[in-house]
Amino acid sequence: MAEAQKFKQPTKKKPKKEDEGSTAPGELSSKKKKQLKVLDEFIEGVLQEAGEEFLDEFKQVEGQ
Amino acid sequence: MSIPKIVGIEQEYAIKIKGDENLSFFDASCTLVNAYARRLGLRNPKVNMLWDYGHETPYQDIRGDLFGKNTGQQIIGEKENRLINAGLPNGARLYTDHAHPEYSTPECLSARDAVACDKAGEIILREGLNLMKDILPFTSVTLYKNNTDQQGHSYGCHENYLMAAHAHEACLVSHPERALKTLIPFLVTRQIFAGSGKVGDSKRGNPGPPYQISQRADFMQNLFGLETMYARPLINTRREHHADPKRFRRLHLILGDANMCEFAGFLKLGSTQLVLQMLEDDFMDCDLTLKDPIKANKQISGNLGCVVELADGRKLTAVQIQQEFMAYAQKFRPTDPSSRVPDDDLILNCWSYVLDGLEQLKLSADMVIEDDPLLLSRRLDWVLKLWIMNRYREGQNCTWGHPLLTVLDLQYHNIDGKEGIFYRTQDQGFTEQLLTNDEIARFVHAAPDNTRAWFRGKCLEKFAEEMYLVNWEVVGFDQGDIYRMIPLLNPLKGTRGQYQEIFDQSRNARELIALLESGSMEQ
Repeated sequence: MAEAQKFKQPTKKKPKKEDEGSTAPGELSSKKKKQLKVLDEFIEGVLQEAGEEFLDEFKQVEGQ
Repeated sequence: MSIPKIVGIEQEYAIKIKGDENLSFFDASCTLVNAYARRLGLRNPKVNMLWDYGHETPYQDIRGDLFGKNTGQQIIGEKENRLINAGLPNGARLYTDHAHPEYSTPECLSARDAVACDKAGEIILREGLNLMKDILPFTSVTLYKNNTDQQGHSYGCHENYLMAAHAHEACLVSHPERALKTLIPFLVTRQIFAGSGKVGDSKRGNPGPPYQISQRADFMQNLFGLETMYARPLINTRREHHADPKRFRRLHLILGDANMCEFAGFLKLGSTQLVLQMLEDDFMDCDLTLKDPIKANKQISGNLGCVVELADGRKLTAVQIQQEFMAYAQKFRPTDPSSRVPDDDLILNCWSYVLDGLEQLKLSADMVIEDDPLLLSRRLDWVLKLWIMNRYREGQNCTWGHPLLTVLDLQYHNIDGKEGIFYRTQDQGFTEQLLTNDEIARFVHAAPDNTRAWFRGKCLEKFAEEMYLVNWEVVGFDQGDIYRMIPLLNPLKGTRGQYQEIFDQSRNARELIALLESGSMEQ
């Protein structure tokens, strides 16, 4: 099972405050807050560009 | 006795075209397939390889002829065959399936390799899209790795698992109650970690839960059956094993979602490998038969915490049912130790972690994540997507009915590294990656070492100009007056360990075949 060591093993500890992995409000480092802001702005831009008409343009043909 | 659980994924990609109203999905898909094949030298005029449909029998049923359909085999001309198909040197198949590109990974021994091969498929399709820009400079084509267009249509992320013929026959044909007691409850409930999440119902405007765990649950209507485009079954009963049917069978599952998160994909495939091996060894003595599996599949998708009714009257949550399977898996060791599922300890660790995390995950009635102490939003698609949705809802002060949430849902699955919402989220450090980039990149060009995919891939890499046909279970060479076929009927053989030396010594296919004949290629 040496192969498994290449994976990061999940641990069941609750993330500490300022933990890089956390996404909970109040537990975020300034770096994470910045990253969240970038992500939010990106998503808003994607949705604005696509617009609601995207949904009608997305119709697919089913595959086998 | 259980056998190694070779696994492969067939991913159908949704396609969107902008800038050319006359370009059909079929034509765009074929352009992509051929652009990529050309890049690899597979459209060189000297390469005339066909994809061999001779072993495809989509209308034959494992339960017997009465269940099948008498519509004959798919027959297409050689020109169309070459237009839509590309067998690749990494052991995979890239092709046009009806009206979209499809990528079938090579056969993998481990869940980890299968996820890496699936991710390598995304890279290959992205490369195909880039190459298309030179061919169609004024047209924008985008691909989405998901399972529904939100307009009532669904397309699959099919899984295939190698099973021992006797166990497959016993569990799915002669005694399907064995599958009903164990396999089906496992498959119905594994969506709690394997689901990709979806806004609303199968079609926009239909009443239903505001957010679902599974993309496919709305579309599953039967337990067993042949269909893939309507009346979809949890277990597809196509008798098309792509291996020696006396020894091997293929379990073809069509109920799963396409995963963007590596962790979710790994756990989906790995836990299924373990459960199938326990089924083969008759290790699980439980009876978790669901009273109505199809209804339960939908109920769970709409509500993580719901209780579903078992045939014996018990009422359990999906987490509780999964805990039963995990408890068996923790005690299980296969009859043949050499058949042990690779990374089994890690699969169990991830499984246990996720079930604990799901027990502690708190969602409000309006599907706001109130507590996620084990950070499942970094690991499971449906939780990650829900977290992203809720951020947007909060920022825009909008309700679940807002149409842009459906757009967000679809854009999560855009495979473009810069435009896709999943990939941008990953880039910002909000997901847990299991695989290294090198690990994924390796499978763009090379097949896994430890299955027959390696042999197939090596033939395509070295001798494509001499090949006449290829499919999952055979490679054929055109030697002028005669075609020479090399059967690959055992998915566990044809590995690098067995044949690297022979390929190193062979300057052409004739020499390869001579060397194979001078030894023996045991099947």
